[in-house]
Amino acid sequence: MASEEESAVKEPLDLIRLSLDERIYVKLRSDRELRGKLHAYDQHLNMILGDVEEVVTSIEIDDETYEEIVRTTKRNVPFLFVRGDGVILVSPPLRTA
Amino acid sequence: MLFFSYFKELVGREVTVELKNDLAIRGTLHSVDQYLNIKLENTRVVDQEKYPHMLSVRNCFIRGSVVRYVQLPPEGVDVELLHDATRREARGG
Amino acid sequence: MSWAGAEDTFLSTSLASYLDKKLLVLLRDGRKLLGLLRSFDQFANVVLEGACERVIVGDLYCDIPLGLYVIRGENVVLIGELELGKEELPPHMTLVPEAEIKRAQKAERDATDLKGSMRKRMEFLDFD
Repeated sequence: MASEEESAVKEPLDLIRLSLDERIYVKLRSDRELRGKLHAYDQHLNMILGDVEEVVTSIEIDDETYEEIVRTTKRNVPFLFVRGDGVILVSPPLRTA
Repeated sequence: MLFFSYFKELVGREVTVELKNDLAIRGTLHSVDQYLNIKLENTRVVDQEKYPHMLSVRNCFIRGSVVRYVQLPPEGVDVELLHDATRREARGG
Repeated sequence: MSWAGAEDTFLSTSLASYLDKKLLVLLRDGRKLLGLLRSFDQFANVVLEGACERVIVGDLYCDIPLGLYVIRGENVVLIGELELGKEELPPHMTLVPEAEIKRAQKAERDATDLKGSMRKRMEFLDFD
């Protein structure tokens, strides 16, 4: 019974519950993306991720040619609390089965 | 309530709070409230050069709504505890 | 809702401990206000007495007096306590009169605008 209830998907956040302890992809505002293991979340989509890789995409304009330069900056953080109001989407890990 | 409770447990530890305006501040977590407003002590700005006006700020209040990330100390993360608390919170609605 | 009630004063996130102190208030639009905290509420609405705006352009700065300000909480990013007896700004920064900082501010803004408009012109010429 309990396990059936645990695995039922009735609303969007149920899919996130099934991603607990799995690596997920999170797209955030201001051109940021995270990949990390989901350790906690709440109804606001506040989250704690572990072993996180953040990718920031920025467009700079060259001072002389005025050309757009697309730059991606990567960094790793062991544990990160992410405030939910910046989250655009969460993608659960792809299952091959 | 999950993250409010979690941050309360984290009081006294060093964290780095990154704001939506890109300012990053490292300091000792002094307190937190239900809105996840945060008070830090012994603060230092990560990129001091860029924020000269923060030079003499040692204690500060950060409005929860402007926080983007909080970098957590690994010893302050109990993964099993977080999983259980999250499942309980998800059931509670 | 009480603020700084008995249960809150222990490890409280309330601004009560900052009352009557000289503070730096960072706003969402990037402005930096200084003043004495005289009142606040649970939204972080604050009353600053003797407020001034600290304008910084490069290594130049100026404090422009504003008076008594009530600031709406949602515009507040951070409220910092300025440690007494410590330099508020690095020694290489120079205090200049209000007129000069306004000129410098305008020059900085114009430079940014120019960069934006040049970019638009280049886009127009970009055929591929």
